[in-house]
Amino acid sequence: MKKILFTGLLFVSCLINAQEVTNDTVKSNSVDTLKTDELTRLKESVDDHSMKLAGYEERFSALETVVNELSKIKVSGYIQAQYEMYDSWASDGSQHGIPVTGSAYEDNSFYIRRARIKFTYKPIDGVNFVLQPNFEVHQVTLKDAFVQLNDRWLNTFSLWVGQFNRPTYEIEYSSASREFAERTLMTRTLYPTERDQGVKLEADFATKFEIPLKLQFAVLNGNFGEGALANQAKDVDNGKDLMARAVYSFKFPSKGLGIDFGAHTYLGNTTVIAQTSPVTVFSDVNNNSFTPNVGDKLKKELFGTEMQLYYDFLGGLSLKGEYIRGTYSGTTNTAQVNTLFNANKVRNVEGYYLSLVKNVGKVNEVSLRYDVFDPNTKLSGDGVKTKDDLKYYNWTFAWQYYFNDYIKVMASYTLPVNEKSLNAGADYIKDKHDNIFTLRLQARF
Amino acid sequence: MKTNKLRIAAILLVVMTIGFSFTTLNKVTVKGSDTMVILSQKWAEVYMKKNPGASIQVTGGGSGVGLAALINGSTDIANSSRPIKSSEVEKLKARYNTLGVEIPCAKDGLSVYLNRANPVTALTIKQLGQIFSGKITNWKDVGGQDAPIKLYGRESSSGTFGFFKDNVVKTDFSASCQTLPGTAAIVNAVKKDKYSIGYGGAAYAEGVKDCAVKKDDKSPAILPTAATIKNHTYPITRYLYMYLKSKPTGEIKAFVDWILSSEGQKLVVETGYFPLK
Repeated sequence: MKKILFTGLLFVSCLINAQEVTNDTVKSNSVDTLKTDELTRLKESVDDHSMKLAGYEERFSALETVVNELSKIKVSGYIQAQYEMYDSWASDGSQHGIPVTGSAYEDNSFYIRRARIKFTYKPIDGVNFVLQPNFEVHQVTLKDAFVQLNDRWLNTFSLWVGQFNRPTYEIEYSSASREFAERTLMTRTLYPTERDQGVKLEADFATKFEIPLKLQFAVLNGNFGEGALANQAKDVDNGKDLMARAVYSFKFPSKGLGIDFGAHTYLGNTTVIAQTSPVTVFSDVNNNSFTPNVGDKLKKELFGTEMQLYYDFLGGLSLKGEYIRGTYSGTTNTAQVNTLFNANKVRNVEGYYLSLVKNVGKVNEVSLRYDVFDPNTKLSGDGVKTKDDLKYYNWTFAWQYYFNDYIKVMASYTLPVNEKSLNAGADYIKDKHDNIFTLRLQARF
Repeated sequence: MKTNKLRIAAILLVVMTIGFSFTTLNKVTVKGSDTMVILSQKWAEVYMKKNPGASIQVTGGGSGVGLAALINGSTDIANSSRPIKSSEVEKLKARYNTLGVEIPCAKDGLSVYLNRANPVTALTIKQLGQIFSGKITNWKDVGGQDAPIKLYGRESSSGTFGFFKDNVVKTDFSASCQTLPGTAAIVNAVKKDKYSIGYGGAAYAEGVKDCAVKKDDKSPAILPTAATIKNHTYPITRYLYMYLKSKPTGEIKAFVDWILSSEGQKLVVETGYFPLK
């Protein structure tokens, strides 16, 4: 019986042991299977994510190419919207304001002075394409359109071809930055619409040679801003005008002082491209009459100096001035007429300005400018027979408030004081009331 | 002036000018060079601890970004690892009627990083220029193994990019140069790629090796060390600058003066850069 019981117990024990071994084997097998499954799933997941990443990388590469191309295009621009008040009276007090159309006079108006977008495309280092249209209520005109090639070896020279600003300080100082509502009468008269078409070579020796000298030399059509818009598309007289400018900058960092000195010249002509019947009579620099022939070239030669002083005194302060004199000519021919020098004449001219600008705190700027322009230096006082030969002394007071870099408000008040003459029309026997107040909001991006 | 409207406008103008003149801000903002961001943050942190009333906010973005922010008025101090450009000075003149104030605040050497497994140890400035402009594309041309050179560099807004371009490359970077956002990213990329080369602040060279640089073929190869950068024998040495719109006053002046003091310059050394004296 004991033997049977012992055998039975042994069998059960073996059976139990066998069961445990089986269980262990099964457990081990199932863990391996589980691990393999997990690894397989993990591998699938990694493969899946790798494929997704490769997809994203491919899409990103495509997008990067597009973004890189887009980053070569820069878009900037500004809008100047303003309210103007004209304190302009006829000599007999009968009319107030400035004439608009027909017999209507206005003494105040809202006005969009500028609405410009500038596109700059830089396909490779050293090459810029610039296009700047100006949007007006009744037309779109082209302001800047040029190709600029910068030398990549010396980082000194640049060649501009197309339509660009004439090289003088006041012209190149953008109206978006200017502290006064308008440029001086001198610059507006002598360089109408600021720009011209041609080619310009600039050399800036500051970057490579650390010499703060800038030279500019330009060959221009010479008739941009004159005559009907269609006539400005090309030269009207074959003759090319030359401009040259040099500016040297002195810096005294320890004193917070910088002074730029410069000079420029304009060497050109007004060619008589047609004569009328009966003939058009011109007057010369001595106010004597003469009759030019077709093809005659009337002098347009200007010489100017400039100075800009910057001084860090309780915030920024600048004192700027330009002086220009020379011989200037004009014609009433519709293809060439300069609206601010609108007569058949050759004149010795002279003008200058001085402006003082002071920054007050971080966001305010107050400015004062005195500018003088004499369109005929040979005549003065009652000797002046036409209002176009009257000398002007203009005062401009301005204040600017910068909300931020993009938005500023300007209040500018200009008081033109004319030379008095008994013989230049009733309005000019005394100082004509022709002050202008401008309140401007400028937004730029 | 004849009309009442104009008189009112003139009075308003005067009142607003005076009123706005007294608008001041107490917080000092510092923006610009990524190379200088760690140093600048350290300066700000220690300065604020010492002056509990002061608030200095530091951000990076690159030297060009900092100088643009200075011009548009959104920062008080621009950090720059390159000198200001004449075009940027012209913008300061137009907006603030000043030339700006340049304050050198530390020295730095621009390291050329190589992977530690790369057998090349020294290069001339000319060779470096040719490598980064894409004229030399294989390591065997400069005494290394026959393998293509992988280039890493910074974005064009970075002062480090500008300084390296003006002083080493002297022309356009090769189109194959991969731009990365920050020196740390360049170091990381070079660490992983045996045949790569990058550049950045000497303080960042961890896990990579510095390439010794020769002025020309005949000059000795110099490694960027504290001594060689301080005495300018290492050829790619530069100043690190702070730029202000105008002479500092108030809190800004106090902060700048402290940076230039021995205490501020001590932090320059601790951060891995080199003091002015």
